Amino acid sequence: MRQIRLIRSSTFLWALAVAAAFALFVVGLFAFIYWKLDDYLVSRSDRMITTQIHFVADLPPARRISAIADHLAQDSRGVQYAGLFDAAGTRLAGNIDNVPPELGLDGVVRSVRLDLFKKPAVHGLVVRAVGTRLDGGDVLVMGRNVDETHEISSVVGQALALGLLPAFSLCLLAGAWLSVRAERRVEQVNQRVQRIVAGELRERLPKGNTDDSFARLAGIVNGMLDEMETMINALAGVGNDIAHDLRTPLTRVRLALERGRTHAATLEELQETADKAIAGIDQSLAIVTALLRLTEIENNRRMAGFGDVALDEILREVCDVYEPIAEDKRVALGVVIDRKVQVWGDRDLLFEAVANLVDNAIKFTPSGGRVELGLEAEDDTALVRVSDTGPGISEQEREAVLRRFYRSDKMRNTPGVGLGLSLVAAIVKLHGFRLIIGPAPGGRIEILAWTGRAGRPITRRSRRLLHADASQIG
Amino acid sequence: MNRILLIEDDAETAEAIVAELADRGFEVQWAGDGVDGLDRARASSPDAMIVDRMLPGMDGLTVIEALRKDQVRTPVLVLSALGAVDDRVRGLRMGGDDYLTKPFALVELVARIEALLRRPTDSRETTLHVGPLEIDLIERTARRGERELELLPREFRLLEYMMRRNDQLLTRAMLLEEVWNYKFVPATTNLIDVHMGRLRHKVDGPGEPPLIHNVRGSGFVLRSRQ
Repeated sequence: MRQIRLIRSSTFLWALAVAAAFALFVVGLFAFIYWKLDDYLVSRSDRMITTQIHFVADLPPARRISAIADHLAQDSRGVQYAGLFDAAGTRLAGNIDNVPPELGLDGVVRSVRLDLFKKPAVHGLVVRAVGTRLDGGDVLVMGRNVDETHEISSVVGQALALGLLPAFSLCLLAGAWLSVRAERRVEQVNQRVQRIVAGELRERLPKGNTDDSFARLAGIVNGMLDEMETMINALAGVGNDIAHDLRTPLTRVRLALERGRTHAATLEELQETADKAIAGIDQSLAIVTALLRLTEIENNRRMAGFGDVALDEILREVCDVYEPIAEDKRVALGVVIDRKVQVWGDRDLLFEAVANLVDNAIKFTPSGGRVELGLEAEDDTALVRVSDTGPGISEQEREAVLRRFYRSDKMRNTPGVGLGLSLVAAIVKLHGFRLIIGPAPGGRIEILAWTGRAGRPITRRSRRLLHADASQIG
Repeated sequence: MNRILLIEDDAETAEAIVAELADRGFEVQWAGDGVDGLDRARASSPDAMIVDRMLPGMDGLTVIEALRKDQVRTPVLVLSALGAVDDRVRGLRMGGDDYLTKPFALVELVARIEALLRRPTDSRETTLHVGPLEIDLIERTARRGERELELLPREFRLLEYMMRRNDQLLTRAMLLEEVWNYKFVPATTNLIDVHMGRLRHKVDGPGEPPLIHNVRGSGFVLRSRQ
């Protein structure tokens, strides 16, 4: 089964195809080389015998026989053939037995079948030969056996065998190795994924130590898994938190109603009980409402309500709304605006975020303290800062405050739903801004906003306009 | 007597609403689904309607849309279990005049219905009078009798809103939405009370009969008559 899957795997099939193509190419290349070389050798040999036959034919008839004998005697390799025949075809000299019938005596080199003189064993040897009729009526034939081509073909064949076979097997091996490797990694991933599906949320895909596309893919998937794990954990935590936070007011309601039912003697007493119960239910509803709101913001990926928002106006409005509250608590509330800044966002949500931060700051700042709202602008960024003289958020609490329902232990008795900062975080995230929590002591939370429109490049023009606008005011 | 048409499919909720509105002197008709509701709305032309968004047969918003197409301008209060901002916007765009998220307090519902029935006429007058109170919308000045009131802009805005709706219960949620333009419930629950306290301090001087009244557990009323 494994073998079949391996052979059918696309990596292996590709390797096979590449190996076959490679083999075809090499065979073709060798054939071409052979053909070219053969062609070259034959034409060289043809030129040689043509030169020789002209040389012998130009000699005076008396010297031809000795010239042929010399010529043949010099040929140590035995590849030269020559023959001089009289008009009747009787051999006069040379090692050719008779004039081959297919050889035209026109000086054109042809491949012909030669019978050798005194060597009937080698009957019908095919060589390149040329013949010509001399002035006396004699016939002169000269030939050459181009045996180099045979050598070449055997060399080429050997080279092919030596080169192609290992290359082909190497291709196949590489293909098999690659597909086995891919198969193994897929199997590894499969096992991990199965574990994740089974609920092992902390499991991650193997990264491997190479920087190939598989490792990159694993990295991407792991990033996604990280995000999902955080979300799932947050969700799981929320379930517990909701149950816990709802239980407190509901317990109060239940106790009040139970006591009222048995002990209320007058209508007033019963009404008092009912008022208590309503207050408890309202608190529970406030929690549910805040939670739904948070989910709504977190899920709302659409930017329907987005537009140009003047941050300075939002800050002034928030300050306006919270001034009396701060005054009642004897907390000074101030706003410092560097210059006008516009960002791309949802006005109501941004107002809500800033209002929540100020609300929190006032709540946690002791009487006589100070809460300050600041707006700074620089190049492409705007910084909204809410700082106070309260206890601030300690290092250990920084992560936790963004969690839903988190309330600092010291502040257990402060009224509130405990979703404020989570809401701010969700709003900030929706806008693609950043939430920065400064070090304690002294509360300090900043929203780092981009003044360029998110999701659409800032044109040079809009940038210039923005700056012109800002400098006019500043 | 004002006639109200309630289109709500949950019988228990409907019963409570009908009883409360009847106690307040309204004549209430109840329809249990959208189709019946639309028929009744066309037949009896009520003064105001309360429409649940999710109804069997015909969606609440469809009912409102159909009525608006017939040029029926009856003010409508939309009720919904969906609190999402988008739903709110859709509800209002379809021709609803106000929107209330379930669960709601009965006083809130009544206050909003009364507000719908007594929509302030956008008078072209530049001054408003309620009892001894008088404000100049152009000069942005306010006075009580001979006494000049030194109001901050937000206090002026609040007083103007209350004077346009005198003798009418204004809930905290209504004030938050209309005066402060809040689309959410602030974490500090007494936000409105603090602001109202400031305004009351300036409007109702020592020894003067109070004009701004706190209605326990519900909201505030600006009352011209004692």
